[in-house]
Amino acid sequence: MSVIASWTPMPAAIGADAASTLVVAPLLIALVTGVASLLAGRQHRGRIGVSLFGALAYLLAVVAIDWYLVLAPDAPGIATYQVGGWPAPFGITLVVDGLSAFMLTMVAVIGIASLLSSIRVLPDLDRHRYYFPLFHFLMVGVTGAFLTGDLFNLFVWFEVMLMASYLFVAYDGGPLQTRAAFWYVSLNLVASAVFLLGVGGLYATAGSLNMADLSRRLAEPAAYGIDPVPVVGLFGLLLAVFAIKAGLVPFQFWIPSAYQAAPPQIAALLAGATKKVGIYAIIRLSFTVVGDAPVDVSLAVPFTGLELAGDSPLVFVGAALFAMAVASIFVGGLGAVGGRSIESVLAYSSIGQVGFIALPVAIAAAVPELRTLGIVAALVYALNHTLAKGLLFLAVGAVRTATGTSRLAELGGLAGRSPSLAVPFFVGSLALVGIPPLSGFFGKFLVFDVAARTASSALVIVVVAGSVLSLVYATRLWTRSFWGPPSTAVETAVTDHVQAAVLLALALAIVGVGVGFEPVYAFAEAGAEAALDADAYVEAVDPADEVSTGSGGDH
Amino acid sequence: MTAIVVATVVGALCAIGTYLLLQQDLVRVVWGLSLLGQAANVYLLAMGNILPASPDAVPVLAGHGEPPSGVTDPLVQALVLTAIVIGFGMTAFALFLSYRVYQEHGTLALAELAEADEAGDRR
Repeated sequence: MSVIASWTPMPAAIGADAASTLVVAPLLIALVTGVASLLAGRQHRGRIGVSLFGALAYLLAVVAIDWYLVLAPDAPGIATYQVGGWPAPFGITLVVDGLSAFMLTMVAVIGIASLLSSIRVLPDLDRHRYYFPLFHFLMVGVTGAFLTGDLFNLFVWFEVMLMASYLFVAYDGGPLQTRAAFWYVSLNLVASAVFLLGVGGLYATAGSLNMADLSRRLAEPAAYGIDPVPVVGLFGLLLAVFAIKAGLVPFQFWIPSAYQAAPPQIAALLAGATKKVGIYAIIRLSFTVVGDAPVDVSLAVPFTGLELAGDSPLVFVGAALFAMAVASIFVGGLGAVGGRSIESVLAYSSIGQVGFIALPVAIAAAVPELRTLGIVAALVYALNHTLAKGLLFLAVGAVRTATGTSRLAELGGLAGRSPSLAVPFFVGSLALVGIPPLSGFFGKFLVFDVAARTASSALVIVVVAGSVLSLVYATRLWTRSFWGPPSTAVETAVTDHVQAAVLLALALAIVGVGVGFEPVYAFAEAGAEAALDADAYVEAVDPADEVSTGSGGDH
Repeated sequence: MTAIVVATVVGALCAIGTYLLLQQDLVRVVWGLSLLGQAANVYLLAMGNILPASPDAVPVLAGHGEPPSGVTDPLVQALVLTAIVIGFGMTAFALFLSYRVYQEHGTLALAELAEADEAGDRR
């Protein structure tokens, strides 16, 4: 609780000790909450109280990180925590900078919304004893992945996160769930093996797994006796693993079944948080770690008219992400147009939207002048996706509580029966489409801006086509479920007020982000700059005097 | 010599794992996943740099970077230990899950499960 105590609103800068305490705070809070809610056993009220308190403390810790470490005028911008006091290349490092703080904030917001909504749909609490502990362990995994400064630890946190998500996909225990969970588990076990291959190869090639140390070694391969070329291929393996987590085409096939099988409250978290872990890892590894490695590249991208040439592996990252992002936009958009239930439309839409997040990242990787703007666009779009998709998945939960179904054929006329559900749902759909003044508008606008600045008409056409598809499926979703004559299931629907209030709060957040966009943009820009400033990252994690002991002699 | 043996073992484990992964039976798929994980572990261990055994190099593995003679690279071993623990946990979970799939569907054949999937999509 010293964390909370240190969060007294003081205008002055906080000391280095307080800064490192803040870095580890969200991880500890989530872990302690998970364990405490497990220990609460049959004390339902106690368990709910602990969960809520923990989620709130998590949010406060993240807000404190945002302010004291990133956004305050005299903030350091980056802070580290060396686990056990071991210095960087040897010990485990936790790092917070603008990028991870931005991601943590999204997760904290959607986490608390999902938790509040979950409490209302689990009336039979004795059967659901392990729901809340699992929920917090999922948060532990996600938080750890955002905070870690070490590649192998990233693997470990991925597994922590995945273990909880496996159980959630299988949670309802029906035929659909067991099947979806098996596909999900198998795919991710293969991905874990591939991740280990990439990590092992990088260790053998570059001689370190600490991201800062790795970044420094790859930036000056000659000084450390490293051949940077194999790193490109090994990084390709890691990129595939992260693309699986993010659900980019061609690694998207597990998403529709897993998102439909998981409880909608968890699907909101899967789309809002675990997907973003994949995006975060791609941005962090590409730009902060391998971006500065000198590798000569010259390659033309078919159909876009872009000539990729450069001296960095980022060119390859850009080319691969281009292909995956464009394919995701179309596969997701077209799949969503044909969905038969609200959550299947949303699951496919999630594939398309992650394409919209990956596209500016690809542009940032390929075109050096657009680097900051590209990452800003990706971060803002990711924020919009987390809020809007989170809202819509939570709305699926609320619709199911109210009507007992979420299949489009059995819905209709919900707008007349429960306007308190319809209004937030409408706002969420509009945010997905990108109507001003919602958060989605700025996300779309920035993606358009970045695409237009590449002067490639093909890219702009892709973005426009993707937007039209999102308009089509959002309209279809709205007319099928909320307009028209009420169906029999809808006529008897009773809306849960807490769930509706959570939805309304998220809808207000979407409007708020859109109206007060200035600080959000500043935050995203801080995130993008942190991702691109590899030197500051290296300096903060592993101060330069270590060079003399670590240099030379590597195979 | 050691390097060739280790490389062969990794290759064989990968090959058998992939073969099992492509089988019709869920339990075999789990075996395949487990073997693939083990292949990754052996590979990870080998990444600590393999040197021929000699009085001042520990058999199989010698240091990485500038090795003090007679000490293995402890990092890869720590990594592999962690990976093995995680891998066992995941395999146990996958086995349990295949048991649940059998309970729900009365079959472990992938073709029948895929049919159920398509039927689920049509509903």
